[in-house]
Amino acid sequence: MSEQALSAGWRHAWRLSLPYSRRGRILFAIRAAAVLILIAAAVSTPGFFTAVSLFSLLNTTSFIGCVAIGMTFITLSGNIISFALGATLSTSGMVFMAALPLGLTAALLTAMAFGAAITGFQGAVIGYFRANPIIVSMAALALITGGATLITQGQGIYPQGDAAAALKGHIFGVPMPLAAFIATVVVVQVVLSFTRFGRQLYMVGSNWRAALASGLEPARIVLGAYVGAGLCTAVAGILMAARYSSGDLELGLGYDYSAISAVLVGGTSIVGGEGSAVRTLVGAFIIAICQVLLLLHGFSTQIQYLCIGVIVLFVIMVQTLAEGE
Amino acid sequence: MLLSGLEFGGTTALREVAQQREVDARPGTAPAVLGVRHLSKSFGPVTALRNVSLDISPGEIHGICGENGAGKSTLVKILTGVYRPDAGNIFVNSAVVSIATPRQAQEQGIAIVAQELSLCPDLSVEDNIWLGSLRVPFLHKRPELRRRAAEALNLLGAGYIALDAPVATLGMGERQLVEIARLLTRDARVLILDEPTATLTDVEIERIFAALLAVKREGRSVLYITHRLAEVYTICDRVTVLRNGELVATRSREELDRGMLIEMMLGRPSGEMYPQETPTHGASALHVEGLSLPGVVTDFAMNARSGEIVCIAGQVGSGAAEIVAALAGLVHDADGRVTLDGKPLKLGSAVRAAQRGIMYVSGDRAAEGVFRRLSVLHNLAATRLREFSLFGFLRGGALRAIASRIAHRIGIDRRRLRSRADELSGGNQQKLAFGRCLERRTGSVLLMNEPTRGIDVGARAEIYRLMRSFCEEGYTLVMASSDLEEILGVGDIIITLYRGRRVGRYARGEVTMHRIVADITHPMEPRA
Repeated sequence: MSEQALSAGWRHAWRLSLPYSRRGRILFAIRAAAVLILIAAAVSTPGFFTAVSLFSLLNTTSFIGCVAIGMTFITLSGNIISFALGATLSTSGMVFMAALPLGLTAALLTAMAFGAAITGFQGAVIGYFRANPIIVSMAALALITGGATLITQGQGIYPQGDAAAALKGHIFGVPMPLAAFIATVVVVQVVLSFTRFGRQLYMVGSNWRAALASGLEPARIVLGAYVGAGLCTAVAGILMAARYSSGDLELGLGYDYSAISAVLVGGTSIVGGEGSAVRTLVGAFIIAICQVLLLLHGFSTQIQYLCIGVIVLFVIMVQTLAEGE
Repeated sequence: MLLSGLEFGGTTALREVAQQREVDARPGTAPAVLGVRHLSKSFGPVTALRNVSLDISPGEIHGICGENGAGKSTLVKILTGVYRPDAGNIFVNSAVVSIATPRQAQEQGIAIVAQELSLCPDLSVEDNIWLGSLRVPFLHKRPELRRRAAEALNLLGAGYIALDAPVATLGMGERQLVEIARLLTRDARVLILDEPTATLTDVEIERIFAALLAVKREGRSVLYITHRLAEVYTICDRVTVLRNGELVATRSREELDRGMLIEMMLGRPSGEMYPQETPTHGASALHVEGLSLPGVVTDFAMNARSGEIVCIAGQVGSGAAEIVAALAGLVHDADGRVTLDGKPLKLGSAVRAAQRGIMYVSGDRAAEGVFRRLSVLHNLAATRLREFSLFGFLRGGALRAIASRIAHRIGIDRRRLRSRADELSGGNQQKLAFGRCLERRTGSVLLMNEPTRGIDVGARAEIYRLMRSFCEEGYTLVMASSDLEEILGVGDIIITLYRGRRVGRYARGEVTMHRIVADITHPMEPRA
């Protein structure tokens, strides 16, 4: 791949050139100011740059981040959001735990396949039947939760022995969840920027009818996006289950909301066709930093939720302004 | 040409002198109801409007002509408070005013009839007329409002529209009349109409014109923005031509012939709008028999050879657009026997059609033409991804090279490859849709549906030239259009359609405008 193409690819991932219009420059200034305020707050908060708080920051972000990267696929494809990814995270963790007796590799593959299959099925329904993605995801949420409760009788799954210990360690000194998150971001960004599927995903998200008229198969591409979302979510599910040494339906509670917040704060367009994995990575970190800062200043969880809500609202307002450009 | 020295070769100073002289020389005009002086507006490095001055007299219908990107919409947006000018002033009744928001524009009596109508389809005509009006007091007298709404409609010659009818039951032309009535009740002194006739049938257009003349008799003014030169001569008193953001001239209708107007818009002699037909036709490529679309088209047949352009002429709603969409596989309940290169093609799947080399360009760019949020590069590369990828990975350099070449061929600046498609003018966006179909395999079929809708003269001429280069590449072209001049200009074979049934088939030169109009409006009997 030529160097030129590479650099264009990354520029595409994160728009670096300065905007022309006055409104564009104002928006740019707002974003830059927000990031600077965040950095200033972090520097001036005692205890932020300690190993413990950074470690917990990176760990929490990694789980949410993987789900958010999965959500990015769905948002980019023009299907807004899915409410089923949190449940998918939980259940793929449970599948992983249940399959551990078969060996670590087999369990990993089974859990990934499970995540890809149940999310991919939703993608097929949405793509081929042009069903409303939000309704489908709500139905899927009910189905997944109901099915899992039925099978497990509401119990968690606890594996014999500790075959998943390898997933709790470090790789080259980097905690496993963080390493997996970074790897996910890199792989997904490469898929989005440099593969045919990635390009087609942007096209379908940008204009379904035009994609159809260009000879694409939008339904298949949407299916692919959902499979991608399922895989990323399963990665998070596996890591979380390994971390807590159990598979439980509660694990992924609320993760879909955190994930969509990260996608939006990162600047991926809610109507599809514009955004990237790198943006979502940034979004996830911004939210996590805010959470840690609030925590260090002694604010309760409720206040944290409130603040995230305000941030997301603020970002949506700024994005909407940018759309009108 | 008389104009050329002053208007085209002259310096800005000369042009200003010319403008000034013109303003001074206009005999017996009342003071302008709306005027702008030295208006300028840029977006970053792009100057959209440069030093534009013009006056609109009371009771005048003032046309604004210009290609896409000439600055027409920027001017309208400044007048309606959407944009602020970088320099220059706006005068209302000789007093400088500031128009910062659409509401302030409304208070100054400047109102726009939007291209996208701003009516609520489920509310009644009367409610729509008063909806959002600043003149309705909280405790209002309903009969009084009703009487005034009826008056406004009567004035426009639209008294037949029932005040209680939901707007959804009205045609597009009637909706525009309701919109105009709404502006009249708000005491608008200058009505701005931006391409009002783009989606209307001939009958509806005449009604709108009658309404505008009534508005004019009331002493109100109309700013009429249009691509259609014929309309300028039908309705406008004076015409202002803009080009590249600058004012070329303001002329009264009598002073201006059609060739001159085109030349002023393009900045060069109009030349041949429609390139000559290609002499060689290939073998029969696309053969259609017994095509039926439930409720729209009955038993349609046609035959198209490679290297020729087949035009399906019909009014809006005749089914011409649907036939083309069906051939592209976009109509799922289409039924008929279609053969392409001798092999049967099953309708109903766009993917299957695309695999057989059928491509589709729509006049509705936003809905099914262009990927507006993606770059020019991505748009031009859209159909070539399979060709330029290796094991699923895109060959970025090769894609860029081909996109750059295509951009050059269709006349889009290569430096704009990275711009988002929606930053381009409508004409350039349409050229993107054509560009992505260029240089595909020979024997391809290019289907077009109103391909030049809402596009200015300059870009039109380029698109017609592009069509011919498709012919030279051995494509088969089928176009549905309701623009008769275009059909006569580009069609090698013309098929007329009336209410979903084929009326006639003519070769180039065999048919007059009159015949086509007769065919598509009230055919006497079916012809061979």
